[in-house]
Amino acid sequence: MSDLSVSDNLIIEPTFTTPAIRFEPEKRTFSISGNSYPENSLKFYSPILQWLENFVLRHTPDAHPINVEVRMEYFNTSTAKVLLDLFRLFESLYEKGQPVIVRWIYNKEDTEMEDAGLDYQAAVKMSFELVPIDEEES
Amino acid sequence: MTVSYEHRVLFKHEGPLDMEVLPQIVRQFERLLADGGARPPVRRRILNTLIELTQNIIHYGVKDDQFPPYIGLSREGQHITLTTRNLVYYSQELFLHSYLQNLLQMSKEELEALHHSTLTTGSYSDSGGANLGFVQIISKADDFSYEISSANQNYSWFTVKVSFVI
Repeated sequence: MSDLSVSDNLIIEPTFTTPAIRFEPEKRTFSISGNSYPENSLKFYSPILQWLENFVLRHTPDAHPINVEVRMEYFNTSTAKVLLDLFRLFESLYEKGQPVIVRWIYNKEDTEMEDAGLDYQAAVKMSFELVPIDEEES
Repeated sequence: MTVSYEHRVLFKHEGPLDMEVLPQIVRQFERLLADGGARPPVRRRILNTLIELTQNIIHYGVKDDQFPPYIGLSREGQHITLTTRNLVYYSQELFLHSYLQNLLQMSKEELEALHHSTLTTGSYSDSGGANLGFVQIISKADDFSYEISSANQNYSWFTVKVSFVI
């Protein structure tokens, strides 16, 4: 993974304990979805954080927003911390002048996920939208 | 692993735990809690607690085939209780007691503040943990208790009971 260029996509298929990762710079979309409770979250996410750090370093800001979509199912507390590290990397893009929009998508009945989203929203300066959805309709 | 709808005990597992078994238990809990009418935020709290406690056992519990860990889920009226039991070394007792007693003396607000500061400024453990598991469990539970009792000359049983109103 270390020899990927910034124009490459980062695609990781989901398992029952790890999420789907679809970071597609050309499309301006970065999405994380599914369960996340790997045995060692740091080990699973380190290459992803490294890839994103590399992207942030090399990306030249422009007017086209980068869209980050996060739609988690169950995730452990170490993933909660890694997600904040990921958001901070996107925030460093925002601080370089790149418009970044994060969408935290969750079941509208799940107030726990809403609270988690509110915690992240309070911890970052970029646009961080909470998007409640009706899971039966989606 | 047994599942029962008729009895107060909804689920019990006594045997080795690893990352192959955990997703199976998560799936069974999801189904049992959905069938039992638990609301989505309560389901999430219970499932998150199951994951944290089980991963603690996988990472830190003593592995001894004669004394396998236990996970149980029971229901009484509107209360669901998740119980885990596993072996720990005697040397872990003092740490567990002092760590958990400290957390149990905190108010919800203090626990939430600790959770926030650990999330935003804390570091990762050697096993990739965030040192947030019990902070989250206790702050989200409607009732939490634990017990440490002697198992043999070398080990103790560490039992955790976490209850939720569904």
